[in-house]
Amino acid sequence: MSGTPVLATQGLTRRFGGLVAVNDVTMSVPQGQTLGVIGPNGSGKSTFINLVTGHLRPTKGSVLIDGKDLTDAKPWVIAGARVARTFQIVKPFRGMSVRENVAVGILYGPEGTGRMAPALRAADEVLGEVGLGGSGDKAPGELSVADARRLEFAKALALRPRLLMLDEVMAGLRPAEIEPSLALINTLKAGGMTIIVVEHVMKAILAVSDQVMVLNQGTLLMTGSPREVLSDPRVIEAYLGQKYAQRQAGGEAGA
Amino acid sequence: MAAEQLRYRPTVRTATPWALGVLLVAAALALQTQLYTGQARTVTAIFMYVALALSWNLIGGYTGYASFGQVVFFGIGGYFTAVAMTHLGWSFWVALVASGLFAACYGALVGIPLLRLRGHYFAIATLGMAEGTREIVTNLPELTGGGGGITLPTVGAAATTPYLGNDGFYVLFLALAAIALLVTGVISRSKFGFALRAIHQDEDAAAAIGINTTRTKVVTFALSGFLAGMVGSAYAFQQVTIYPERLFDVEITVLMVVMVVIGGSGTVIGPVIGAVALQFVSEWLRQNYTDIHTLLLGGIIILAVILLPQGLANYVREARRTGEYSLLANVRRYRL
Amino acid sequence: MTGFLQAVAYGLLQGGLLALVAVGFSLVWGVMNVVNLSHGAFVVLGAYVGLLVNQRLGLDPFLGMFVAAVALFALGYVVQRFVINLVVNGPIFITLLLTFGLELLLTQGMNIAFTANYQGIQTTYAGTSFAVAGVQIPVGRLLAFVLSVVVTVALVAVMNRTRVGMSIMATGMDRGAARLMGIRARHVYALTFGIAAGLAGMAGTMIGMVGTFNPASAGGFTLLSFVIAVLGGLGNMYGALAGGMLIGLVQALGGYFLSGTWVNALAFLVLILVLMFRPSGLVGKAFYSARLEV
Repeated sequence: MSGTPVLATQGLTRRFGGLVAVNDVTMSVPQGQTLGVIGPNGSGKSTFINLVTGHLRPTKGSVLIDGKDLTDAKPWVIAGARVARTFQIVKPFRGMSVRENVAVGILYGPEGTGRMAPALRAADEVLGEVGLGGSGDKAPGELSVADARRLEFAKALALRPRLLMLDEVMAGLRPAEIEPSLALINTLKAGGMTIIVVEHVMKAILAVSDQVMVLNQGTLLMTGSPREVLSDPRVIEAYLGQKYAQRQAGGEAGA
Repeated sequence: MAAEQLRYRPTVRTATPWALGVLLVAAALALQTQLYTGQARTVTAIFMYVALALSWNLIGGYTGYASFGQVVFFGIGGYFTAVAMTHLGWSFWVALVASGLFAACYGALVGIPLLRLRGHYFAIATLGMAEGTREIVTNLPELTGGGGGITLPTVGAAATTPYLGNDGFYVLFLALAAIALLVTGVISRSKFGFALRAIHQDEDAAAAIGINTTRTKVVTFALSGFLAGMVGSAYAFQQVTIYPERLFDVEITVLMVVMVVIGGSGTVIGPVIGAVALQFVSEWLRQNYTDIHTLLLGGIIILAVILLPQGLANYVREARRTGEYSLLANVRRYRL
Repeated sequence: MTGFLQAVAYGLLQGGLLALVAVGFSLVWGVMNVVNLSHGAFVVLGAYVGLLVNQRLGLDPFLGMFVAAVALFALGYVVQRFVINLVVNGPIFITLLLTFGLELLLTQGMNIAFTANYQGIQTTYAGTSFAVAGVQIPVGRLLAFVLSVVVTVALVAVMNRTRVGMSIMATGMDRGAARLMGIRARHVYALTFGIAAGLAGMAGTMIGMVGTFNPASAGGFTLLSFVIAVLGGLGNMYGALAGGMLIGLVQALGGYFLSGTWVNALAFLVLILVLMFRPSGLVGKAFYSARLEV
């Protein structure tokens, strides 16, 4: 069981007309690992997640979850396999309270029964985990940017996932707001959850990732430890070249 | 749509709504004894529209799929009953349920491809589907009587079920409205209802948390078809002679939409309020301003949409929550 | 065989005219994401304006259509600026309902003003025709066809070359960005709707010249506009021309081959098929996503 990767892709490819958004990506994540995914804007990070979760259909290639071929499976089938995700642009269910937002996930998750009351109680627990304990009665629109991202997090956790895919849950947050999210990811890691973190915030990626995968123009550039990735000349050229090297020169590098 | 962020509905979990529902039905039965024949007919029509508006509310209000072809279920429900009673000699009561089931199957069948379409495309595809269905019914004269209409056997030896008369239809349409209300009430507080609201707000996010959005939408469309199909069946029996022009009239769809929007879409009581209010106003205009009543109705629709875009039920709920009662705040909501 | 060619010729001529009916509808949808259910009513209103100036002032429909265009442009501008703009950011059934309310107002208003009788604009030449290889070409329809093509080409030029046109297209692509560049969206939306109404007015006058109409014709024109706009791709004006021709042909050939009123179902069949298989239209791509990926 532990030998089978939680997620593996074989030659995963997606074209939009003439554009190849994800090109022949073969990768795998073993149980319990946290994999960081980085790459410049438009390098195919979100498309990659969408292909895994069934929100987009691959043009070619396959997706295996726990060794089972789930290529072309619908998103709810993927969710049923306890793979949860967040969205880069937050997608709360407006018109429901924050608590109900999470409760829907619980109702349709592995612990879901048809009954509302236990689901609402369980939702409060999840909200507590992500630090939204007191906000259950609020409308999603009343949350701050940071809290809206936490709600997105909570909705994914409501599925009690084995594999959690976080699509830029820290984008647009201040450093002080990032810390609790990192702490939460570390707690989940400690609990044995497999996590894929797509992020622009380099510091965050380096802090939590065991392995880092670099995408560039849809192609898998390399996979390695954070240290290896940072020192690889191809990565520096493709992605870090402009942004990161400058900051490093400024003496505030995160590594 | 930033203004929509403040829309938030806490789930009320008390027995009050059920008691209210029972009270409404009891009041409607008590009212029957107090009405003249003409008034009773008007109220019967109100019940019909309550049931139809509630059926539209399931797919359009809760799920957010604005079906502009909802009348198709009404139409084929009516025609199924007409054909079953005329050609097959079925009793009305059997035909009533069968019509609902037939409409539900039709909804599932056309829903599988159509519910993949979004927004305006779904709206107009359903409109096209309804118009197309009317043409099919019109062009099968051996079965449906074609454009000349079909007359149900209600008198003499051919009659399979005795005609119900004004009192009978009053109770029948009231029962259909009550069934629609009950179905909506149960769904609104259930797991299924939450799935519908989730799909309405964001279909991708709904699918990501494990909701089978395709199945949920198709089942809902079929269920709304079932309700509207039974109403169409009852209407056909009441009218005795039916024509494609009337049974598939786009105006019936539009009335359903207007009623739900005015009353409050995605709520249980909203469509009831909307149907009662609009039918009353419409009837009053018809009697007092016979020549221009449709014109005035157009004006009322425009005003209602501008001043109460979220509907009466949602407006009251939000206003009580936020303390903002001004209708001008409503106008600001969707203004450019 | 001649009958078949006659149907093709008639279908193409009719299709060009239908394209002019639909092009404004497509523009409004593409730029503002508003499906204007009152579009057909504007077409019919244009026909009545053309009829009135013909009867009262003796204006030829080819001059009268300019009167109709100006009058409907003004009406359309006001309607968008002071009514539709109030709900333009709402959910789709809000704008659908509002424009349906407008349609009721306009068609019922016309019913009261002009009665429900069928009328037509009489000219000395519209009814005459000449033969090409045994196929009869009616002069009025040919002229209307030529006009439709000329107007569509001119519209494309205006949209792509002029300041006003470019601000309309820019607003359609990204309203936020257009605003940042100093484009006043309220005014641009009103202009767009005005132009669409003006084009509907021209189309209406032509319809009145080649055939008859009454207020109840409005709904049919709206539905055809929708089919043609979807076929052509939203906001794509040449696409509308192609879509119009296709629908014209489908209807004419359907009438030639099918019996009864089956032909009426054809446009809907085409609509559903296109939505199923090619929702972004036959040419180009849609402004807004039409279909779910999953």
